[in-house]
Amino acid sequence: MGDDGKIVRGPFRSVAGQVELTMEPWESDALRAVPELLESVGRAGADPGADRLDQAPYPDDPQAAAEFRRLMADEIAQGRAADRSAFSLTVEQAPHGVTLSAGEAEAWLRVLAEARLVLAARLGIDEDGWEDDLPENDPPVALLHYLGWLQQSLTETLEDHFT
Amino acid sequence: MTTTPRHDELGEVQVDLDRPWNVVVWNDPVNLMPYVVYVFRKLFGFPKEKATRLMLQVHNDGRAIVATGPREKMEMDCFRLHRHGLWATMERS
Repeated sequence: MGDDGKIVRGPFRSVAGQVELTMEPWESDALRAVPELLESVGRAGADPGADRLDQAPYPDDPQAAAEFRRLMADEIAQGRAADRSAFSLTVEQAPHGVTLSAGEAEAWLRVLAEARLVLAARLGIDEDGWEDDLPENDPPVALLHYLGWLQQSLTETLEDHFT
Repeated sequence: MTTTPRHDELGEVQVDLDRPWNVVVWNDPVNLMPYVVYVFRKLFGFPKEKATRLMLQVHNDGRAIVATGPREKMEMDCFRLHRHGLWATMERS
């Protein structure tokens, strides 16, 4: 599992059941590129990002895996598209920050997770400890760290809603 | 008459169908630990301590069983984990 540090807090904060994000203009530019990244995911077998997202829940039973895919693939794809669209709409709101409803915050969380998985798969990351091995100034690695920082901050903020 | 073996066969099928399934979550190097804890709490309603223990089991042992039950329900749990980017598979209990 990735471990980018302990308590981050960072740019998200909980305000009356909603989530506020403050950001620098370079951050909104970086975030605008995220839905594009996810839309660039190709077919399984041709793109490591797609292979990571397109999971086989029955590793030893291709027939059961195909049946699962037949039942769930559309719903997964529609859910992801809806998340991306919620993400795009909110990231366009303002260059310095946005206020997210609880539902939008959940969509953000899934988009951040998905984007990190795609980036990591394309970088060939398949073992713990990559944080120490890959150069942080390589743009896709930098984006992976940045989105991880956001993932951690948003997770910590949403955890407050449990209590 | 051939009813006896047929009953035996049906009995075995029945036992097999009733056997529960597990949802297994596997370690991956990308999803952050607090995120995995959050997803376990949100999807399964686990208290923070239990979600953290399962997350650490995934991290240290490579895998953990996070749910056990009827196949259709477990497939739905597996689907919800996939939606959150966690690596999850089904196995016979």
